[in-house]
Amino acid sequence: MTGAFWFGRTLLLVSLFCGTDGPFDIELFNTPASPTAQGHARLVFAESPFGVAVTADGRASYDVRIDASGLPDPATLGAFSTYVAWAVTTDLTEWHRLGRVTNGTSVVGHAELNKFLLVITAESSPEPRAHSGPTILHGTSPSGWLQSFLSHPLFRGLPP
Amino acid sequence: MFRLPCAAALLAVLAVPASAQNSAPAKKSPAMPGMSGMRGMRGMRDSSRVGTRGTTSKRKKTTSPVAGGAPMAMTAGADMEGMAMPVPMPKGMPMIPGLVGLTPAVTSFLPGVGVDSRSLPVAMASRLTRLRNGDTLDLTAMLVRRTIKGHSYVMYAFNGQSPGPLIRVPQNASITVRFHNRIDLPSAVHWHGVRLDNRFDGVPGLTQAEVASGKDFTYTVHFPDAGFYWYHPHVREDIQQAMGLFGNMRVDAPEPEYYSPVNREQTLVLNDILINGDTLIPFGKESADYALMGRVGNVLLVNGEPRYSLRAQKGDVVRFFITNVASSRTFNLSFGGAPIKIVASDVSRFEREERVASVVIAPAERYIVEVRFDRPGRFTIVNAVQSINHYLGEFTSEVDTLGSVAVAAVPAAHDFGAQFAALRANDAVSRDIARYRKYFDKAPDKTLTLTVAANTLPLATVQFMNVDTAYFAPVEWVDGMPDMNWLSTARQVRWILRDDATGQENMNIDWHVAQRSVVKIRIFNDPKSFHPMQHPIHLHGQRMLVIARDGVATKNLVWKDTALIPVGSTVDLLVDASNPGVWMLHCHIAEHLEAGMMTAIHVDSVAAGAGR
Repeated sequence: MTGAFWFGRTLLLVSLFCGTDGPFDIELFNTPASPTAQGHARLVFAESPFGVAVTADGRASYDVRIDASGLPDPATLGAFSTYVAWAVTTDLTEWHRLGRVTNGTSVVGHAELNKFLLVITAESSPEPRAHSGPTILHGTSPSGWLQSFLSHPLFRGLPP
Repeated sequence: MFRLPCAAALLAVLAVPASAQNSAPAKKSPAMPGMSGMRGMRGMRDSSRVGTRGTTSKRKKTTSPVAGGAPMAMTAGADMEGMAMPVPMPKGMPMIPGLVGLTPAVTSFLPGVGVDSRSLPVAMASRLTRLRNGDTLDLTAMLVRRTIKGHSYVMYAFNGQSPGPLIRVPQNASITVRFHNRIDLPSAVHWHGVRLDNRFDGVPGLTQAEVASGKDFTYTVHFPDAGFYWYHPHVREDIQQAMGLFGNMRVDAPEPEYYSPVNREQTLVLNDILINGDTLIPFGKESADYALMGRVGNVLLVNGEPRYSLRAQKGDVVRFFITNVASSRTFNLSFGGAPIKIVASDVSRFEREERVASVVIAPAERYIVEVRFDRPGRFTIVNAVQSINHYLGEFTSEVDTLGSVAVAAVPAAHDFGAQFAALRANDAVSRDIARYRKYFDKAPDKTLTLTVAANTLPLATVQFMNVDTAYFAPVEWVDGMPDMNWLSTARQVRWILRDDATGQENMNIDWHVAQRSVVKIRIFNDPKSFHPMQHPIHLHGQRMLVIARDGVATKNLVWKDTALIPVGSTVDLLVDASNPGVWMLHCHIAEHLEAGMMTAIHVDSVAAGAGR
């Protein structure tokens, strides 16, 4: 195999699997608790016989593919043994457990919220009923980038 | 690998001077307050990312298309500024100031201008027409009078019926259809999904000439595959299909147990129509309007009527044959919580039956589902979606009632509960598909990027589109910007299928494949274009498998002729190129087709007996 071949293959893989900043990509940010952690997530429609996977009320249903690196041993953060991903409503009132996350690629699911925060926390078990440990990575679903023009004069006087 | 050409397309759009963008389309072109030039880039300062933490999807729906019941709670743009804007806007949604007073740069068209509607026959419901091999059907496209929500309109129908006659034939039958065009536009009939002789595919300019008003054309239609199909014109679908020219074809397999036993069968033809008060919104005569999103109606119809109803008995299993004939709308259909089993789609049954919570059906797709109504009461059939309010930056839950099933307490005459509970594996389908699995992992033979270019759109449209591209949903379920959409015509918007290998676009793509070859086509729907949108891609005259979406293999396969490509997705299609001829590949959003989103694939005939 030539260098050019592998260079081309690498470019192909990068373009296919490293995100296109489309409606499916989530950049993950670390926190002071885990300054070495890095990550990216991609939303992939859950298995469905249709062109897209949605709930009966029309919300998209996604599996979440998380690529993470630099996650420290969770025990260094306290009495924790693993990391868990959550889909969290933007008012932080609902935390839906998605699944266990490790360094490398983890596929967890299903996220079925219109807008959500993707939060990865340290936990003492892979299936906790509620989040308890520190947040080590977090991001916003692409739909969270929807912009409001509420401040535009057009909308003055409209009910919230 | 896809981003560079798409970025180039975007730059090309942005590079058009503001003066050019705003020069042609409007009869009147008021200035956009506070905006003058083009935006080359847009962004938000970091602090803007501190979003409100209000819950999502809690905003009450302020308006929606409602099938049946009271007329739509819509306000015309005319009410906003006193301008002649016939487009219904969602209640409470103001028009963009720079668009007030503008009209599309096309002449208005509605069917039957100058015709005394009282002289026209009243449209009838679809009737079953059973045909045998060798039979002949006369099919006449004609003007009719239809009443929707108490208002009478001049529309189109086949044989006076809308939907047109439900043609039911045995598998492998050939029939003759004598088509008579008696409407006020050139027309033709496309037999959607049927792998028939190319000469009779019904595509003017490709397989036949247009059938002028008053003229006739004779088709021979052969049905090699059991399944559920539909027919419609392939000339100005944005008008003719929207005004009622469509009908179904059911092809029966010889096996008596091809489907599970059920208590009854129903055809559901889903559609929508755009009405403001008592007025049909006119169409563009010279070219299609609503070119950005396609025409999304505000009155939802089932079998041509605003309210569908069915009576059933407790425990009844009903098999629904569903077709989406809407120009642009994708439906998400459910049956009041009754359990749904999906059985088949366009050209075959699924490998395995599955339980589903709802049925997502894009334009031109068909799904066959079975539903069990296991308790007495009223089951409401709804279309439930999450629309995006692009001005508020929020999702809105919209639930539109399409009809209902009234279930009596009397038990079903025959209890098919056990058969409904079982999820059949269709081994014949799996065996058929198994012959193609060796091609699943090969490199794509062809790749396409879906994108769009626009020019001379109103400046206000361009400005809002440029600042509102931070997120586009994979599927736009409703038209959140009807004013911008209405003003866009196929003269200004060019939807594009781009061959990545050659850079050629739409009908300039010159694809040849050998008959009996298996062709893998990878399609990427560019999320970075000027106005990304989902596209239901239809291939004529062949069958295909959707073998992967975004790199994830499809686990339960079915033969299709139309596949939904969401925004930002990459979809792999495996085409069984068995049928020689020149075949259209296009987006089935009627206005996107009118705006150029089509190409032709030449399936070159090879000598009989040559192996794959």
